[in-house]
Amino acid sequence: MSRPDQHKHGLVPGLVKGMATTARTMTSHAHTQEYPDVKPELPPRSRGVIALLAENCTSCMLCARECPDWCIYIDSHKETIPAGPEGGRDRQQNVLDRFAIDFSLCMYCGICIEVCPFDALFWSPEFEYAETDIRDMLHEKDRLGEWMATVPPPPATDPGAQ
Amino acid sequence: MTTSLPMPKVGPMQAAAPKPMRLVLNWGRRYSLWVFNFGLACCAIEFIATSMARHDFIRLGVIPFAPGPRQADLMVVSGTVTDKMAPAVRRLYDQMPEPKYVISFGACSNSGGPYWDSYCVTKGVDQIIPVDVYVPGCPPRPEALLQGILKLQEKIAAEQVRGASLRERLGSAVGRSSVAAQVSRPLVQPPSDGLQDNAE
Repeated sequence: MSRPDQHKHGLVPGLVKGMATTARTMTSHAHTQEYPDVKPELPPRSRGVIALLAENCTSCMLCARECPDWCIYIDSHKETIPAGPEGGRDRQQNVLDRFAIDFSLCMYCGICIEVCPFDALFWSPEFEYAETDIRDMLHEKDRLGEWMATVPPPPATDPGAQ
Repeated sequence: MTTSLPMPKVGPMQAAAPKPMRLVLNWGRRYSLWVFNFGLACCAIEFIATSMARHDFIRLGVIPFAPGPRQADLMVVSGTVTDKMAPAVRRLYDQMPEPKYVISFGACSNSGGPYWDSYCVTKGVDQIIPVDVYVPGCPPRPEALLQGILKLQEKIAAEQVRGASLRERLGSAVGRSSVAAQVSRPLVQPPSDGLQDNAE
């Protein structure tokens, strides 16, 4: 009736095995991250929030048109720059009035950042912007500009590349 | 037979409680949030990651998982709320006892997210239930939910559960008594005759 390998499953060997596991792991730390006290080390490429460098934006609307969610709002107007030296002509320039991203809609695909021809948008790994009011999730130009301080430096070029 | 359920109350003395008493009450509430996970889509995976050992929101007093909505204080709606699911979300929210809190987790439950133009997706869970904290992301990282929980705890610490503040938080939903049949009836069964009879 008794199985030949029953001695491996008895009470005492099981207890010894369990105590051995306990002894092995009791000196190692738990791998729980203490988030509110210790900030997580996020990779620089992580997609937390989108930052805007408003000086680079020419209000070309490419990001707003490529956005799958249509969550980018841009308003601009044209200003005329008078002709400088003799024989020149007046030039027209777009001036950005409003640039807003609705982070309650954003799907963090990064197409706006890829498509921007003038490097005005950047990924920032910041994620701490939960809000109690949904209207605060619409980040206007100044708030998007504040995220620029958290943008990590671009990755280094390959060795030998100039 | 319908029985009207009164709005659960925390006692008439609570509104008149002196400040130290409120402090203790709010302190108890903010660090004992039994959570009811409404995982509807991929954001639920991040919610589960937050509840596991690496992020472990039980450190913040969020206790996973309440056996049901009647034992829960906090509902985390994570994922796409469809119009088909919306009545169930609403009914389970109605079953939760006061004081209750809702965290909307992820773009879909915040405002519909990528599906804001869909014919069958609720454009934000705040269209059917009052939401306390919105966590942005698609999906948000687990730390973002932890930060949302911290934000909610700050809100609870400053709160005063009495008529005026309840009305401000819940809007028209305050004092609304649910009929017992609304929160306890079984889900509607599809008609057994009709289509099947036609197919045969």
